[in-house]
Amino acid sequence: MRQPLYGLTLYIFLMLPPVATLAESVMAIHMHMQMPLFVIVGVLMATFFQRRFSRLFAIWNGNGIPGIILFMIIVIYWMLPRTMDEALTIQKIELFKFVSLPFLAGVPLRDSWPKLGVIGKNIIFVLLSVLFSSMAWLYIMTPIQLCNNYLIIEQKTLGWGFVFQAAGIFIYFAMALFIDKSDYE
Amino acid sequence: MIQNKPNKIAIFLVILFGVSLLFVGTDGFTAYTAETARVNKLMKENPVFPEVTLEDSKGRVYPFSEFKGKYVLLTFIYTACTEVCPQLELNLSEVYNQIPQKYIGEDILFLSISFDPTKDDPETLERYRYYFDSDGETWRMARITNEAELTNLLKEFGVIVIPDENGNFQHNSAFYLVDPNGILVEVMDYKKIDEAANKVTSIVEEKVGE
Repeated sequence: MRQPLYGLTLYIFLMLPPVATLAESVMAIHMHMQMPLFVIVGVLMATFFQRRFSRLFAIWNGNGIPGIILFMIIVIYWMLPRTMDEALTIQKIELFKFVSLPFLAGVPLRDSWPKLGVIGKNIIFVLLSVLFSSMAWLYIMTPIQLCNNYLIIEQKTLGWGFVFQAAGIFIYFAMALFIDKSDYE
Repeated sequence: MIQNKPNKIAIFLVILFGVSLLFVGTDGFTAYTAETARVNKLMKENPVFPEVTLEDSKGRVYPFSEFKGKYVLLTFIYTACTEVCPQLELNLSEVYNQIPQKYIGEDILFLSISFDPTKDDPETLERYRYYFDSDGETWRMARITNEAELTNLLKEFGVIVIPDENGNFQHNSAFYLVDPNGILVEVMDYKKIDEAANKVTSIVEEKVGE
């Protein structure tokens, strides 16, 4: 299992000042690439923590619900226009981004996902696509500049990114409803 | 079922954490954008207008403290702007017209500060002021030539200016009211003209009545 090592490498790479600055200079890359990559860092590193603290995860995240709620909270938090701005202007918030996305979103996501039943997973798919659709609507339709550090045109680009994400998740969800996986095994 | 209890506690704790995180992150669910947070913070902290040297459309050079003893309603602009600034200045002229004539010049001055000193020399500002019926006296347009002073002022007042590819700038806009002691007392929505005019009038009236 070399995943934690890959995760750590990606983590360090993403935090290198030139990489972080470049990723944050474009709004859509900041939200749709850098942030998800940090979550992926957590997902990759999760096995390390799961082995180390297996009892802890088993007791406190037995049914996966606390973990997935934590994941959703962190995702929602980083969708606020304000947190995006503050990650650029306030160093503590940037640090919180580096810590919260991998360890409070990525790790709990990996630990919770297999524990959730079909209904639980479907709820998350629907919630995420609704959330992303509303974000798309917000960022595309709003006439005002939401983030002081980004141009309105970038804001609209970001909104369209949300459209594709929401559509992608929803299509996957719909597909999973109609396709019986066992047919292909 | 044995695992049920810790799970419930965990869910409770996670939700508690989430609510407090969002509460703190939005100043108690009041500020979802950095701009709202900025205005709220400015109104709470009331920064002093830093000492800067202005050069106005008539080519006169003087420090900001020249306006001591008077209220100053100010905006930040650049004349090459085609989007927000014309609207901002048009609205400022509306406010100018709505404030009782007797206060203007005596108790309150209007000032448009350009943050593009390279392009906005006195001649350009002089031309620009005509478009908005500014008289150049009770409503002045000025640039700050010293870059360090300008940067410091923009930082103090939380004005973020981003240049785009076409030589334009995108920036957050508002009406700023600085009191006779040079303290920032109000940051107002530049789209709500009547509200701003009423507020400024009542503040000035109160001061004159003293």
